[in-house]
Amino acid sequence: MFSLGYLLQQTMNGVVLGCIYALLALGMTVVYGILRLINFAHGALITLGAFFTYFILVRLGIPLVATIFLVLGFGGLMGLVLDIVAYRKLRGGPEVALLITSLGFYTFIENFMKMVVSPQPYAFKAPSYLTTIFRTSFLTFRTIDLFIIGASIAIMWCFHLFIKKTKMGIAMRAIAENLEVASIMGIEINRVISVAFVLGSALAAFTGFMWGAKYGQISYDMGFLTGVKAFVAVVVGGVGSVPGAMVGGVILGLAEILSTAFLPTYFSEYRDGIVFAILILVLLVRPSGIMGVKEEVRV
Amino acid sequence: MLKIENLTVKYGVIPAVHNANLEVREGQIVALLGANGAGKTTILKTIMGILKPAEGNIYYQGESINFFSPPQRVKMGITLVPEGRGIFNRLSVEENLFLGAYHRSDKEEVEKDLNRIYTLFPRLQERKEQIAGTLSGGEQQMLALGRGLMSRPLLILLDEPSLGLAPLLVRELYSFIANIRKEGVTILLVEQNATMALKVCDYVYLLETGVVKVQGIAEEVWSREDVKKVYLGG
Repeated sequence: MFSLGYLLQQTMNGVVLGCIYALLALGMTVVYGILRLINFAHGALITLGAFFTYFILVRLGIPLVATIFLVLGFGGLMGLVLDIVAYRKLRGGPEVALLITSLGFYTFIENFMKMVVSPQPYAFKAPSYLTTIFRTSFLTFRTIDLFIIGASIAIMWCFHLFIKKTKMGIAMRAIAENLEVASIMGIEINRVISVAFVLGSALAAFTGFMWGAKYGQISYDMGFLTGVKAFVAVVVGGVGSVPGAMVGGVILGLAEILSTAFLPTYFSEYRDGIVFAILILVLLVRPSGIMGVKEEVRV
Repeated sequence: MLKIENLTVKYGVIPAVHNANLEVREGQIVALLGANGAGKTTILKTIMGILKPAEGNIYYQGESINFFSPPQRVKMGITLVPEGRGIFNRLSVEENLFLGAYHRSDKEEVEKDLNRIYTLFPRLQERKEQIAGTLSGGEQQMLALGRGLMSRPLLILLDEPSLGLAPLLVRELYSFIANIRKEGVTILLVEQNATMALKVCDYVYLLETGVVKVQGIAEEVWSREDVKKVYLGG
């Protein structure tokens, strides 16, 4: 049967995947909170970030620290472009127009990547300092696992402080609650929304890097299902709640890995289905998610 | 200080305000009275820049502000305390107050103003860490007013400040409004309940279905029998 070591090992794998979902969910939940937009284009940033790091880290061999800053900057810039080009003009119109645009933008980037990098998956050979293996009596892991967990905790902590303590963070929460009143406080709505896109997209691009380094394979369409699952994490954790997005992400990662690890092997093909089954179960018990607030009726 | 000329505001094709002319002089309290749906809130929102005029002009300190965004108007010294208070329910009391001063960069002065608000409303200080949605109605109104003052307004627009408050609180609120004026802030006050408003204000406009029907000095309007019957409930 399954040993304690096996359980620990799979839990760790689940936490690592959960961290990736959590970082994605953070960016999505902030944008959703402000614009009521399920930003499908968020998934495209994963793909873009993954290929960006592939070229600078794997091909060009740029040092890790520089890569981290470059990929964050690249993602942020793409987020800004996306906001200004695709979304800004649509604000104030029907929410569904934004949704379709984000889906369209995702599709555009996916096809663009298919054309540029070819439909073949790429092997992401991370530098050896990221793939060094450690063995203890219970656990086997690589540097990248520690890196993902450490970086995620650090980012989530910074993000939490940002939302709670800074002027911009308070403004974001104010806009999420009442855009009109926020504007008469003198808050420049467009600027705050851009910041939300920049932060979310920078994180998404960064997770693209982590994904590539962890799983060793990237492809032009890798962002879609990952992006959708990140949104599931948002909903499971409670839409609009920043701690909820983190909790939802980790729960989802754990559930995905543990269900494949402990269910009979023929279930493992259905791990994506299991993720959505969890979504439905959670919503049946708690319609507003684990840490969600009930949406007030807007007049 | 504020002059509105031939203002028409429409929701779609339906005019909510039609050809309104209003003036607020510096240091005055001007009341805008009328029944529900008369267009009072619409006028305030247009002054603030949330709604756009279909026709007409709004002048503030001699300058047309028609094309200014709400944040620009806040910087010029206009503040709206919205109807139903419009506080941020999920933010703490102090965060709400802090947002009132969002456009200001003079940190030390903001801190001073915060303490001043806390001296005015000790209840807010006691509850500063509390989530604003958990305050009582009266406390929420105090918070909305305090937040408005945090922007250091020159002109404050009050939308139905007495709505839903117990009579005792309404009296307290109005003595407070009179105090704000003493500090040199000009006030444009919208009320459905006219009795209290008429006691403090200098000048009155009566609005009916988007049109200014009656205007005049408060005492004169107050003493007109026809006005009392039609607008002030006898």
